[in-house]
Amino acid sequence: MAEKVPVLSVQDVHKQFGDTPVLNGVSLDLFRGDIKVVIGPSGGGKSTLLHCINFLVKMDAGNIYLNDTRIDQSRKRELYAYRQKVGMIFQDFNLFDHLDALHNVMIGLVQVRKLPRSEARQRAEAELERVGLKDHMAKYPAELSGGQKQRVSIARALAMEPEVMLLDEPTSALDPELIGEVHEVIRAMAALGMTMLLVTHEIGFASTLAKEIYFMDGGRILEQGPPQKILFDAEQARTREFCSKIGRLNENSD
Amino acid sequence: MPEGIIVIGENLSYILGGLWVTVAVVGGALSMGLGLGLLLALGQVYGNRLLQRIVGVYVWFFRGIPLLVLLFIFYFGLLSALEIDLSPFTVSIVVLGLISSAYQSQIIRGAILSLPEGQFKAARSLGMSDTRAILFIILPQALRLSIPGWANEYTIIMKDSAVTYALGVTEILARSRHVAERTYQHFWIYILAGCIFLVLTYIGTKLLQRLEEKVRISGYAH
Repeated sequence: MAEKVPVLSVQDVHKQFGDTPVLNGVSLDLFRGDIKVVIGPSGGGKSTLLHCINFLVKMDAGNIYLNDTRIDQSRKRELYAYRQKVGMIFQDFNLFDHLDALHNVMIGLVQVRKLPRSEARQRAEAELERVGLKDHMAKYPAELSGGQKQRVSIARALAMEPEVMLLDEPTSALDPELIGEVHEVIRAMAALGMTMLLVTHEIGFASTLAKEIYFMDGGRILEQGPPQKILFDAEQARTREFCSKIGRLNENSD
Repeated sequence: MPEGIIVIGENLSYILGGLWVTVAVVGGALSMGLGLGLLLALGQVYGNRLLQRIVGVYVWFFRGIPLLVLLFIFYFGLLSALEIDLSPFTVSIVVLGLISSAYQSQIIRGAILSLPEGQFKAARSLGMSDTRAILFIILPQALRLSIPGWANEYTIIMKDSAVTYALGVTEILARSRHVAERTYQHFWIYILAGCIFLVLTYIGTKLLQRLEEKVRISGYAH
């Protein structure tokens, strides 16, 4: 097939917190249906990268393109429309604490997409059913387990019908028993062809899902490639060092 | 029966006539304080540096001057200088409202700042504008958290309203004083005035407690 246009293109993003550089020129492309995973040590800039892509953290330099259109974050309307199309899943869920599960999913539909309430409710119910929370719609975040909360947040993002999903360590705040149910939902999204950029420490899960893994450290993508190559046959010493430790950890936990 | 009790019986309806003045002054001041305090809090939390500075000065000013001094400044100073004709009743509501707005702004500001940062972030990530995020995500939570602070503020303004008698507002204390000077039953009359205030503060805080329970989010441990 001829050269396709990436759904999401991240170009040369720089970010500094005070005097500390966090991102030193990160670029990546996501094509439709791509699932790419970012791994690397904490403090390496992974989370900041996702926040910058969604303009939740202001980048110092760099550009983001959605379907070849550069996003100008000073144009509010454009920015809000862009964020609708780019779903974001946070490490600590960030559900709206004053709304039950159903209304957490509904509020974006009503306030942002301006759907009539009855239609929004139907859609929200369908999304919650899809993530297996049919029986928990009336519960408030404080009454849900971590895994359930993360599934509500995924339903909330999916309800906006995004073209891309950014997942920032979606399972790292969960205890091991709850990780599986969230992975299952992510797998189901993948099966439906959702384009995803996933930051995670769950290398095993990542390698079964991802087409390509990026290894990030010191605010740069040091290396990228198919999972097998990055995990077992990396070119960079730093990547090999990181992946060997993770491999050992995963063995121990099995 | 002590004569004081008889005097109370004879003058109760006159003194209670001040109840509505007190309730109107307190209600007016608290409402004005809430509206203004909300704007001040939003300005201080989300405004630019200049706006934050202005709110800071405003709060410093109205929290720093005694109520009676402010009443005199407004009633005897400002109004005559500007040749504005306002009743002591209106001036009392305005001054108490300004002071209350300074305090209420800090109650609301504290509540907003106590919310996790992720709430705003999540709202934005859905494509919500900042205004909508504040209206539908931040304020519903922050205002709930403000209720205990309001109960406190209500009792303070209720008690402060008695000071407006100095301008000649015919609220409970002014009427009580009137009766006491006429009948020389100071002790019994001021006991009565105290009891009326006790009942008023009790009713108000109970109502706010009820409100707090009513809007409580299940499982929300804040």
